[in-house]
This record gives sequence, C-alpha cells and structure tokens, in this order.
Amino acid sequence: MASGTIFSIEEFAINDGPGIRTTVFLKGCPLRCAWCHNPEGLSPEPQVFHGADGDRISGTVIEARELADELLRNREFFAMNGGGVTFTGGEPTMQPAFLCEVLDLLEDVHKAVETSGWCALKVYADVLDRVDLVLQDLKLADPAAHRRWTGRDNAPILANLETLKRSGKPFVIRIPLIPGVNDGIAEMEAKAALFRDAPGLRRVELLRYHKTAGAKYPRVDMTYRPGFDTEAQPVVYKEVFGDIETLVL
Amino acid sequence: MLTARIERLKEFFFDGGHHRVRRTPESLGLDTLCEKYAAEGIPAQMRAAMLFEAMTAAEEPVIFEGEQIVATRTVSKVPSYFTADEWAALKSRHYLHENGMLSNISPNLGDAIAEGLEARKQRFAVRMESADAEGRLFLESAVRSIEALQGLIARYEACAREMGDEALAEVLASVRVKGATTFREALQLLRFIHFGLWESGCYHNTLGRFDQYMYPYYKADLDSGRLPQDQAYELLLSFFLACNKDSDLYPGMQQGDNGQSLVLGGRDASGKTLFNDLSARCLEASYDLNLIDPKINLRVDRNTPLEIYKLGARLTKRGLGFPQYDNDDVVVPGLERLGYAPEDANDYVVAACWEFIIPGKAMDIVNIGALSFAGLVSRSVDDLGSFDNFEDYYAHIDAMIKAECRRIAAGFKNLYIAPAPLYSVFMDGTLERARDITLGAKYNNFGIHGTGIATAVDSLAAIRKYVFDEKSVSVKELQAALDANFEGYDDLWKKLRFEAPKMGNDDDGTDALAARLLDSFDNGLAGLRNERGGIFRAGTGTAMYYIFHAIDLKATPDGRKAGEVIPANYSPSMYTRHKGPVSVIKSFSKGDLSRSINGGPLTIELDDTLFRNEENLEKLAMLIRSYVLLGGHQLQLNTLNKETLLDAKAHPEKHRNLIVRVWGWSGYFVELDECYQNHIIDRIKFTM
Repeated sequence: MASGTIFSIEEFAINDGPGIRTTVFLKGCPLRCAWCHNPEGLSPEPQVFHGADGDRISGTVIEARELADELLRNREFFAMNGGGVTFTGGEPTMQPAFLCEVLDLLEDVHKAVETSGWCALKVYADVLDRVDLVLQDLKLADPAAHRRWTGRDNAPILANLETLKRSGKPFVIRIPLIPGVNDGIAEMEAKAALFRDAPGLRRVELLRYHKTAGAKYPRVDMTYRPGFDTEAQPVVYKEVFGDIETLVL
Repeated sequence: MLTARIERLKEFFFDGGHHRVRRTPESLGLDTLCEKYAAEGIPAQMRAAMLFEAMTAAEEPVIFEGEQIVATRTVSKVPSYFTADEWAALKSRHYLHENGMLSNISPNLGDAIAEGLEARKQRFAVRMESADAEGRLFLESAVRSIEALQGLIARYEACAREMGDEALAEVLASVRVKGATTFREALQLLRFIHFGLWESGCYHNTLGRFDQYMYPYYKADLDSGRLPQDQAYELLLSFFLACNKDSDLYPGMQQGDNGQSLVLGGRDASGKTLFNDLSARCLEASYDLNLIDPKINLRVDRNTPLEIYKLGARLTKRGLGFPQYDNDDVVVPGLERLGYAPEDANDYVVAACWEFIIPGKAMDIVNIGALSFAGLVSRSVDDLGSFDNFEDYYAHIDAMIKAECRRIAAGFKNLYIAPAPLYSVFMDGTLERARDITLGAKYNNFGIHGTGIATAVDSLAAIRKYVFDEKSVSVKELQAALDANFEGYDDLWKKLRFEAPKMGNDDDGTDALAARLLDSFDNGLAGLRNERGGIFRAGTGTAMYYIFHAIDLKATPDGRKAGEVIPANYSPSMYTRHKGPVSVIKSFSKGDLSRSINGGPLTIELDDTLFRNEENLEKLAMLIRSYVLLGGHQLQLNTLNKETLLDAKAHPEKHRNLIVRVWGWSGYFVELDECYQNHIIDRIKFTM
C-alpha cells in the first residue's frame, strides 16, 4: 500500500475535464516554471502555509486506499454528471506508485491526469494505461527556452508526447500563455507541429497568464521572481492550430 | 437582446425620470382621510374601498414615450385607512401580522385576466342579492374597488387618445371591460391588477405562474401571425420592466424585498411538464433586462431536461440571485402531506421569498414566526451536565423543540388583517362566501421559519464528538468558554471552529443531525392547529431572522463568537472552509425535506469568474440538477465576485447596478444597510 502527499482536493473543478469532477493536487514538481501559481505544489514535503486564519500545514500524507475511498464517495455523483476525478499537482507523476494505486482503486470512475510529461517513459506509460483522458501541458517546444524558463530539458516531455500520440488515448493539450516567453508565432507554430496530427487530440486549451500568479509565494516563504513582464498581455495565436478546437481559458 | 425602445425606457426609469410626476399623499390630502372615516364611523371594509377610490382618483395618468404597457404610480405612498389611535387599539386587542395589511399570498390572476373586470364586477354585484349584511358590505366594497380600478384605466385610455396612441387606447378600452383576447391585453390587464394590489396597500404582491396563465394569449397571437415573435418579446420586456418602475415605493424590510416573485415551469396533476416557449422567453427577458423584478422561480423535477437547467443557469450566472429552483418531486408530496389537495399542490407557487403557497386558494401566513434552532441549542448547553450520553441529550433537545413549537403556536391569537376588498376580488371563494379574503380561505395555514440549522447541527456535532464520545472537553470547560466568548480559550475555539465536524462536508453522522432536527421540528408542529383551523408548517428559511436571531445569541459550541451572524436559510456555516459544492449539495439533501415545506433554500455562493464559457455553464446546470435529483427542496445560487463587492462598498457610486441575493430576494447591493453588505461579503470569504 503506497502513500502519497497531496496539498488540495477541489470539488466541482470545472476546467479539468468533462462533467463534474474533483481534482486532487499531488505535492512536488521537478519543474520550476517561472509563472507557477501553485508554489505550495513545488516541494514534495509538507510545509508551513501562512493562511488567512493563521499558519497551517500544506501537504497531507495519505494512503492510496484512504484517498480512493474519499473520492469514491462521489462515484454516483460523478457518473450522474459525466464527470470523474482529475489528478494534477505539482506533478502527479512524481509519485508514480501512489498515483497508479489510487487510479486502480478508482475502478470505473472516469479518470484524468494533468501532467507536464516530465517523467520516465515507464512511469508515463503506466499512468497512461490507467487513465481515460490526459491533460498534457506543453510549455515550450524550444529546448533552450524550456531549460531557461522551467529549469529542465524538454526531451523527456517530447518523448512522452510521442507515446501519448501513439496510444490513441484521448488528450487535451494545455498551453499556458506567458507574455514574451512562449507566445511568439514561431514558438507557437513549433508547439502546434508537435501534436497537430494526433488522432487522440480532442482540443487545445490556452491558459492565459494571470498576474495574481504570485499571490501565494509569501504564504510559503518564497519570493515570486517571474523574470518576464507580468503586466504585458500575451498574444493569442489560435490560428496556428487550424481546425482543432481551441479554447482560451 | 433589449430593443432600442426598452433600452431607452430602462435608462429613463433608472434615472428616475418618472419620479418627477410623484406627489406625496399629504400634498393631496389623502393622509387625513382616515380621520374623516373615523369621525363618520365608516366600517373598515368600506374604508378600504373608499381609500382605493381616493387613491386611484388622485393618480395622474402618465404615459412615457415608448411605453407599451402602462400604469405608473404618481402618489408616493399609500396612506392608511385607520388612524394611529385606531391602529393602537387594534394592536391592543389583536395579533397583527407585520404592519397589519394583507401581504405575501398569491392571487388567481389567470382567471381574472380571462374573465375581465366587468364580468367579475357583475358577479359580485349579483351575489349581493343573496348575502347577509356583512356579506353585502364586503361585496359592495369589492364592486366599488373594481369600479375604481376601471376608472383609472378609463383615465389612462383618455390620456392615450390625447397623445394620439390609438393602439394603446384600444387596448385600454378593452381591458377596462373585457377579459384579455391578446397577449398585449393580457399583460396590460395584469399590470393594472397588480398595480391595483399595490395601490390598495397590500404588499409582497406575487405574480404566480405567469408562464402558464399567459401562455394561451401568447401562443394564439404567435400561431395566428397577429404578433411577430420579436414584438411579443418586446411586450414581455415591457411588462417585466414595468414591475421595476415603482419598486422603490413598495414596503419591505429593505428595498428589493418586495415579493414580486414569478414562477416558471413545473407540472400539472397528471405529471405533465408545463415548461413552454414563454417560460424560456421569461428567463431570457430577465437575463436581458438585468433588473431585480420580477424575481424568477423555476419549478423543476427529476424529469426536467438538462437544457432547461442550462437556461436557468445562464440566468443564474447573470448574478441576480435568481432563478430560485424549486423541486416538484419534494414540494408537491410535501404539500399533499400537509393536507393540500393534489390539484392545488401541483399548482403551487412561491410567496415573497421561498414559501410555497397555492394561488387563489391560500390565506396562509407563511412567515408568521420563527424557531431559532441555534438559540435553542445554545440554551440547552446550560443543561448539558445532566446527561451522560448524547442520545439522552438529544431527547432533551427534541423536547425543547416541541415545547418551543407549542409556545410559538399559542402566540398568534385573535389575528386581525385589515380588509382587502380588491385583493379579495382576485381570490377564489370570496364571492361564494361573501367574505373578505383576510378572514380566511380554503387554506389558512401558518408557516414557521427554522433558523440557524447549520449552527445548531455543527454545535451538536461538536458536543457529541468532544463532550460525549471523546470526552476531551468537559461540560464545565465548554460552558465557561462560551460564557467567556472564548476569551482565554483560544485552543478550544480553534478546535471547535476549524476542526470539529461541520454540516456541508457530506459526513453522514453530522448530516443526520440536521435531518433529526428538521423531523423534530415537523413533529413538534404536527397536530397543532391555529385559530382558523389551519395547521403549522415547518420551514428552513430564515428571512431577516439570520440577523435578528444572531444579535442576542451568545457564543455557540460550533466556535461561532457572540455577535457573529448565522447562515441565511438552509446553508452551511460561513466560518469554515467546506470540501466544496458537491459535498454541500449532498449534505443538504439527505434529510426528508418534504417535511420542511414552508421552504427555505440551500444557498450557495459561487464566484462569477467560474462561468465564462458554455461548457462551464453546463456544469453549473448539472450541479443544480444534482441537488434536485438527490431530493433537495429548494436551491438558490449567487454568483458573486468579492472584489466587486468590496469595491461597491467603498465606492457605491460606481456600482449602482450591482444586484445581490439577500435572503429570499435580490436587491441593489449599494442600497443595503451595512450589516447586510458585510454579511454578503463574509459569505463569500470561502468562495467555492
């Protein structure tokens, strides 16, 4: 029985897949995206969070069975509303044994995972096998820029993206629109070229950067240093995605 | 979309363009009529008709440019037909409900619009021949009231002719006498009847099942091609707009609390769904107009398609705080259980806020009193030391509720409601009985709100867990902490407020306490009769009691400190973060809510930023439907934006259009007293 660390369970998460869903946030992430709005998701360890009602610990260690039971309480509710459970983070694949076990325990509940794709090929394939939908983040196609803005190489991400495409599994591409970082036409074209022809692709979601992204950093004793112009408006090039349904959220 | 005409009129009314024609009753000598009536010894029944005659005669017919549905108040206030001394004398001898005038019931508007004023008047006149003396007095007052209303319509007709608006003049000429034959006539006649009810001093004047009684006219006009779709819609907008013109003159706790509720959808006794094209157009009109009246209720049930919920959700997203969703699957059997005939139960509408009432047939007083669950549990803490297990303690709570029910029920003796002959004209059975509606109708039940349910449940859950099960908090410690308002008991306070079990987290053990409290309440009222032979109905509403009942309430075992408010209606506590709306909906649908049929909605606040695309709107529709499918009775959703509210508090001038749901009604945020503003802001501290 694996246990894992989560930092939030959000009911009625309306932007994380079809129907009425609950989203589980797994703690810990290998990337350090300059625009990250969930700084408490970065460290894999529970940590102090200075909340409005005083300090609390962000991060709960929980057994897979316990989490699954909690989520299964709403099994009928999800089924009634075409929904299910979405796992995000942090980076959910950073806790592969825990994630896979919870996914297995959820049985017939519709399952989705939102991932950066930065994980081992085996981990990615194991998770992919167990979910009904992947919300695949794609930040930058350009390897150098990816290293600069996320602190990691995007080679594993691109390799996992190939696995995803080959699997035929339904997926959504999610691209954060960061002004001056990844919203240029050439970069967008390059991203689009990576997934455009995949049969499983359901749609593209462009997530507009919000300047309140830095709001929670002081709460976990961190400083927000975005390094780009947070006041600038990102450019939205929907046209590079051609006929693919593209939503700006 | 609003038409240019409606845009212009809306702007005109919003800027108070019509206020310049208003005069005070004092300037017209209307305020002293009561003294004249008193001096002449005129009976109250006739005074009501005479004052209505004087009021309608004092009205100045005004038709503003572009108006298609006319009638605007030009006398700013309806004076009383009793002197202050007479009121004092009445008060010393009787129980007066609120201000003593008739309020908060629902007329049979459909029959009135179909029959027309002249035929109705004739029937009342003929009935005089076979009535007793009291009956003749009533019938004469009714006939005179109808004539006064007809007189006002005639003067409007003359005004329209003078202005050269022959089409309007023809409509007015017809509705003064005959039943409606077109959609426009039906709306215009309804407008005058509704206007008359307000003008006669009655208040919380509801509009009932508008989409049902208006549909035949709407459909016939459209089917015959007499009326193009867009013109029909503009007429509908005109009527809705008209409901807002005088609303600042209507009495209520706060401006906006005027009870102009309108019910859409629902089913008939055979179970057939009645939602029609006009129902959909009404939702659209309310969305397009973006004004607080009429207040929309949408009757739904397990068979209502998601598409209809989506239409409702679209209006919900507008942020007006309505539609309020009412679940026929729970309400109809609940009403039948209380003795309402099946055909009446299926015809239910909503009174001013949420109380279910039968149009034309009920003289129910749906908001006559309130039982404070929170107050009762608070008092019970004094006796906590006498019990060594929770079940015995709950038996004590149950006994307290029963005693409180008996006490409340005994409190309303010798009720007096000032006669309302015009309203009586539009109620069933008044003609046959030859008696004013205020003396009673087919249904004469009294409704009792149940306030602070979540506060009570959370308090009981904390007591059960810490005092009885874990024994980690002693009775003395709890009592001392509550007496000290938690001063010096910070750890206990935090535990009770933030860690204790709370209703709204889909925790069966805690939620079962709510079901028990509601059952105790219903059992406590069962078998009690009021002096009119009616029964008492238990409810989950709070009305303004969520402020009143909190004022004197000391700190409670759920970690609420003295002076902090209790949740409005049937809603979770505001002081702690819940798991989310799914758990709240599950928690609040577990009890048998058909036993809480005086109504009172689960109220959920949602941030408006959540619903920016069609897909999310559909999810909102699903959430609403879930509450219905799980057996909830009534649901109200607010979509609010906290930044907007804070800014509105600081800069009211920038937010004159901001509308919020307060308890059973929506009002302009900037016009609410600060305590209500703060309550709404507090409610979304933990926006889900």
